[in-house]
Amino acid sequence: MRFTRRLGQSFDGYGGKAALLALLVLALIAFPILHDNDADLDSVANATAYATLALGLNIVVGFAGLLDLGYAAFFAIGAYTYGVLTAYQVMPEWSPFWDVFQTLGLVAKINQGGPDLVHFTLSFWLALPLAALVSAGFGVLFGAPTLRLRGDYLAIVTLGFGEIVPIVARNSPSVTNGAAGLNGVAAPSLFGTSFGIDTLPYYYTGLVILGCVLFASLRLRDSRVGRAWMAIREDEIAAGAMGVNLVRFKLLAFAIGAGIAGMTGVYFIAKLQTATPDMFGFPVSVMILVMVVLGGMGSVWGVVLGAVLLSLLQSWFLPDLTQWLHAIGHGIGNLWLQSIDLARSVELIFGVILVFMMLYRRDGLIPAVRKQAALTFDQQNVAGVRRGGFAEGAELGRDAVGRPGTLVVRGVVVRFGGLVALNKVDLTVPAGAVVAVIGPNGSGKSTLFNVITGLVQAQAGSITFDGAELLGLKPHVILDRGVARTFQNIRLFPTLTVLQNVLVGEHARLRTGPIGAVFRTARVRREERVARARAIDIIALFGNRLTPRIAQAVGALSYANRRRVEIARALASRPRILLLDEPTAGMNPAETLELAEQLKVLRGLGLTILLIEHKLDVVTQLADTVVVLDHGDKIAEGKPAEVRRNDEVLKAYLGRAATEAAKREAVDAA
Amino acid sequence: MTSTDLLVQQLINGVSLGAMYSLLALGFTLVYGILELINFSHFNVFMVGSFVAYFTLQQFGLAGQTTILTGLPLIGVLLVTLVVSMVAAGGLGVLIERVALRPLRNVRGPAAMITTIGVGYILFNLVLLCFGADGKDFPNPLPPLHWAIGGATLRLREILIWIVSVLLMGGLTYLVQYTRMGRAMRATAQDPEAARMMGVEVDRVIIMAFFLGSALAGACGMVFGLYYNFTSYVIGFTAGLRAFTAAVLGGIGNVPGAMLGGVIIGLIEAFGGQLISTSWTDVIIFSILVLVLVLKPAGLLGRVAPSKS
Repeated sequence: MRFTRRLGQSFDGYGGKAALLALLVLALIAFPILHDNDADLDSVANATAYATLALGLNIVVGFAGLLDLGYAAFFAIGAYTYGVLTAYQVMPEWSPFWDVFQTLGLVAKINQGGPDLVHFTLSFWLALPLAALVSAGFGVLFGAPTLRLRGDYLAIVTLGFGEIVPIVARNSPSVTNGAAGLNGVAAPSLFGTSFGIDTLPYYYTGLVILGCVLFASLRLRDSRVGRAWMAIREDEIAAGAMGVNLVRFKLLAFAIGAGIAGMTGVYFIAKLQTATPDMFGFPVSVMILVMVVLGGMGSVWGVVLGAVLLSLLQSWFLPDLTQWLHAIGHGIGNLWLQSIDLARSVELIFGVILVFMMLYRRDGLIPAVRKQAALTFDQQNVAGVRRGGFAEGAELGRDAVGRPGTLVVRGVVVRFGGLVALNKVDLTVPAGAVVAVIGPNGSGKSTLFNVITGLVQAQAGSITFDGAELLGLKPHVILDRGVARTFQNIRLFPTLTVLQNVLVGEHARLRTGPIGAVFRTARVRREERVARARAIDIIALFGNRLTPRIAQAVGALSYANRRRVEIARALASRPRILLLDEPTAGMNPAETLELAEQLKVLRGLGLTILLIEHKLDVVTQLADTVVVLDHGDKIAEGKPAEVRRNDEVLKAYLGRAATEAAKREAVDAA
Repeated sequence: MTSTDLLVQQLINGVSLGAMYSLLALGFTLVYGILELINFSHFNVFMVGSFVAYFTLQQFGLAGQTTILTGLPLIGVLLVTLVVSMVAAGGLGVLIERVALRPLRNVRGPAAMITTIGVGYILFNLVLLCFGADGKDFPNPLPPLHWAIGGATLRLREILIWIVSVLLMGGLTYLVQYTRMGRAMRATAQDPEAARMMGVEVDRVIIMAFFLGSALAGACGMVFGLYYNFTSYVIGFTAGLRAFTAAVLGGIGNVPGAMLGGVIIGLIEAFGGQLISTSWTDVIIFSILVLVLVLKPAGLLGRVAPSKS
């Protein structure tokens, strides 16, 4: 019990790690004092920038699973935003229009021997959020059309975008000074003191930026937003069916990643005080990707580690190693050793890391998901009721189920090329009823579910729920209306835990957005606490089948348990009608009986159920009405007992000859 | 030159470029058709093929454009170089599949795609480290024959590209459409599981796709060198991206589509360079890529498969 209570706290704590973290922060603050070497300090300052970039890419690639190969483009956009607004490059003629901005300190009037000119003097600190917004804006602008595409196309389109941005910078010399690059980008200043070329303030600024992005990453990961991203990454179709607005959340990940890159761009060129198009090419995008892959896609701490290791490898280890090799070569008189320059092979090392990690350690140095230890015998036998868990949770149950509604399917036609999967099918599921759909394989049962939940388009007909048309709506909207489903071939989010899977089911009923997730307001904390408590209660409906496994990745569960998690996930959305696609498939007779009992309880709570099932005893026990499909046609409808005697049904299942034989037998018996 | 001459000249240039992009696009399309994988290492398999051709021609004692061959020696040298670069590139493609991609075949997510990026990066940097960053003076034994068509010029090297491309693409089409292996390839592209159950050796089909695609990239590497008198470790990226755009434009996974897309991209490059500016070529081509993907994701000749949910 203590076990579940701890999980029920509003968020997983980082208790044990706090001390370690404090120690790390202290060490980083003290580093410049202990190690007085400007070049090394500069290396670490650069490492913080790369780590920040990698965290941004991790949100896109690691959390949301969108392979972005043009990430450096957003880095460039942010950098140029700051560069153009501080360097002596774009200088329009002065007019009274600029007076306001002069008072705000954003521009200065200068004179280079002609008319008065405007010199932009955007403050570094203002530029950080501004560049983040501009880059995020470009991310949205560019992502909106392409994020609807399949994931692998996104990779190539982002690659193209990553190429275009430096080309545009190179081809627009009036704004960016072309290939030669912007010069005289302003250094940041704080309280009137410019950072100049001193490394120390950059080091601390870099640390603070990294710290903020790291904090935001962790907060986002453990929120409704992070769960939605990971659901998309694991199974896009299931995420949509569980109420996640795919386009919106992909765009959000893309925009946040882009914003972080843009912000880092400001820091990066303020530190270098110059910006050239070559600083933002494909190699940079790949380098950041290598950092994410090395550390572990989706693993916040891993990504930071990967970025720090790789950037220090470039600026520290390889040059040092090269010097040693030269010294050895000098000592033994070997010219080849003296001529080696390991820094030149750094990209080769990146390539090797990518291939090696993908082949042998896909989870990275610090995997995002810890491998769970198998349950102990005691945990397996945690005291608890095997059946009847539902009755105990009846109180929750009433709250679990939304107001029942009536589903009406009229004349729906679905064709795949020449194959008619559904041919003018009519079907009514009255509020509070249980209707079962049966039929031989390939009769169109699952297609019926897919068309109701918006995964497949109908060519004709109408589907209404509670009087409102569902056809043409996106899956996440249909779930929001109260139509939840499970899948015949189980579509869970395999690397997420049982609890996280069920929490994704609650997605449509929660409101937390990215800002709330980062700042974790009282409202967000309360919402999350209630959501977790509810998820745990729903999981407990299945007795001790799932509760002891609540923190395990669902990929490791038994087939029957995965079916239960899927039902729990659907229930978490507070459905008004539940569509169950073969819920007892793969269960043994005892488990089937148990689930049938549990479904009966749900029916008792007023939940409307549309059920596809092959096991006729389950259908007979549960269903008020049975609908029989064959080759896309509805061939029968009625009470379970009537349908069992229907000629057409027997023919569809057994064939004509067998039907005759069965009838004769029935007559003989009579 | 009159504007008609310019038109003819850019038509010649565009079709020649297009023929090269087609050869390269076929490699993307063959692999994508079967594995649904964007093979980023293909960029640099092409580049390696070009270096193989460069060294093979040097083996015949050719250097720069000074040694001119004619008649049978010319055909012999070109044929040997073509075969060597095709076999080498094809072998490289098979090696990549066998070592780096087969272990990831059933891994979900972007792992395989990331691996191909890594492999491409390795090839790129190995060539850079071994042969240097300078552009190579590609040996060209072709006699400097050319014909005037109005004010436009048609050179022997363009005719060579056309001949090589037509022959290779014809051969590929025959192979895919009329042979047992081709039938197995098409079956696997539609449904690998069903093909396997019908006795198709899917592993062999995949190796074949990698071999054929990479061999065509090798051939393209040779004609690229002969066309520009130049090769370098950087040529894979730009050409590869344009060829991929060609494959998408024609409908990825679709063999005639890749050929058509290649020619269209070649023409766009030629006329875009003429009408706007060569420094904007890539911007134009990627804008087309995005437009095609958004407006007609199945490409010009592709078709949308029913979704499997």
